[in-house]
Amino acid sequence: MALEARGVTIRFGGVVAVNGLDLDVRQGEIVALIGPNGAGKTTFINCVSGAYVPQSGRVTWKGGDILGLTPNALGQRGVSRTFQNVASLHDLTVLDIVRLGRSLGRGRTERRSLGLFTTRDPLAEELTETLLAPLGLADARHRPIQMLSYGHRKAVDLARAIAAEPELLLLDEPVAGLSSREAHELADVIRGVRERHGCTILMVEHKMDVVNRTCDRIVVMAAGSRIFDGSSDEVQVDPEVRRVYLGEP
Amino acid sequence: MKRAHFIVGVAVAAAVLAVTPFLDRYVAYLVTIVAISSIGALGLNLLTGLCGQISFAQAALMGIGAYTAGNLCNAGLGLFAIPLGGLAAATASVVIGLPALRLRGLYFAIATLAAQFILEYLFKILEPLTHGISGLLIRPPTVLGFAIQDDRAYARLAVALLFLVWSGIGVLRATNLGRSFLVVRENEIVARGMGIDVARTKFWAFLLSGFIAGIAGAMSGIASRLANPEAFSFALSVDYVAMIIVGGQGTLTGPLLGAAFVTLLPEAIQRIGELFNTPSILSALREFAFGMLIILFLIFEPLGLMAVVRKLRLRLTASKPGGKSPAATTEAV
Repeated sequence: MALEARGVTIRFGGVVAVNGLDLDVRQGEIVALIGPNGAGKTTFINCVSGAYVPQSGRVTWKGGDILGLTPNALGQRGVSRTFQNVASLHDLTVLDIVRLGRSLGRGRTERRSLGLFTTRDPLAEELTETLLAPLGLADARHRPIQMLSYGHRKAVDLARAIAAEPELLLLDEPVAGLSSREAHELADVIRGVRERHGCTILMVEHKMDVVNRTCDRIVVMAAGSRIFDGSSDEVQVDPEVRRVYLGEP
Repeated sequence: MKRAHFIVGVAVAAAVLAVTPFLDRYVAYLVTIVAISSIGALGLNLLTGLCGQISFAQAALMGIGAYTAGNLCNAGLGLFAIPLGGLAAATASVVIGLPALRLRGLYFAIATLAAQFILEYLFKILEPLTHGISGLLIRPPTVLGFAIQDDRAYARLAVALLFLVWSGIGVLRATNLGRSFLVVRENEIVARGMGIDVARTKFWAFLLSGFIAGIAGAMSGIASRLANPEAFSFALSVDYVAMIIVGGQGTLTGPLLGAAFVTLLPEAIQRIGELFNTPSILSALREFAFGMLIILFLIFEPLGLMAVVRKLRLRLTASKPGGKSPAATTEAV
């Protein structure tokens, strides 16, 4: 198993955000983590990406324990992530963000451009066009990030994470704020990334059409626990999922 | 840095260097102090404007540069004393920056304030190195046996150093480290989440900013042939903060405009006073006028002189047929 979580529990005071979660993701798989608001999906992603340290449990990536590692150290181990809320970073252009993302990974295909004092990076420029062209942002490489819409800033955040050439990509609501057409195009980009780089992807997402289009497997969380693990066909008829989402008895 | 900006920088530096041999001594002195202030302001801007770490210890770091360079000059090291003064200040800057790994914003600013006062005190009591209150007299540096002691030569040296620092920061801004500075400035939590090593990024900001402050201090000491505690007091640190606010924090050229403004304004007020035979009145009003101008800037143009320049440029380009849209011209210059 590439990513393995066992008995992960995260509490904030008296609130149990993640409750003894077990979750497996196989190498090269795209898994969607869905569930109602407050289910603990983002908290779990934060735990895997080094932002939170759980009170109990274990998370391993390719057999190595990654709990407690900083995001910087995780980047060097091939783990990269996007954020649910993207910051408006002043004075940085789209290309700046993608170049920075490249420099924070370990550079699986090309390492020469990763130094602290590097200014140019042809691969980052190529990636910017490839990843952002479907959203009409290919010619926006020199546009300041704060001038983009929220949805487009999220797309740039995704490009930054992908530019690090990760082996494990954690996506937190990557298509929030995008139109349906843009969301579908970005879903294709995400699948393309898996095909091109062979990376493993764990994705939190609410839009089920994007989840169905992109993911191999779906894990449903509710109140911090896993209540379902299976295919998109199975999830729609699962009685527990229907109870949590639709309030069916 | 865009090539066009670099070419303009080269042209301006070359023009100033070309005219300095013909300048009046007083004007050469003004060129020297503006260039030195600009170097110091660029150093503080790197730390505060680019990396978001507020510091009130700029004058003390310049003092370390001045005393180090002064002692090394007196020992016969010539112009090598300037980069060595920079190295000494860079070391001190990293030490002062250590609290920044745990403190943020105003809390860190207070820590730098403490560092400023501690260093000022050390300048007074470490007499073997600093000669205490009376200050360290600095012999003019020699190059190939020739002593540099002409005001015009100091002006040329200061402008050349300013150009090197300005273009160096321009290049730094476009590196991965420069981009990391900007993300750390905007939001440390986001920076950490993106995978930026925030501690290492701050370390570089303190090191480079301290080095530049040390160079400014070294040049200041050499040009005035004296390093004394009064010349590197807390008031000077406040002046440097004012320079980057007035000029435009985070921009490349703003600190130069701010340095020129803050350095030349008292001189201008003095001259006007002499012109109208009211030097004592205007001298008394000088500090008041200076303070009022800073307040007016904060109220009406908090983004500094560079924002004024940008607006003027936008107006000019917008009035031309086919001029650039505002969106295309918002980069930091």
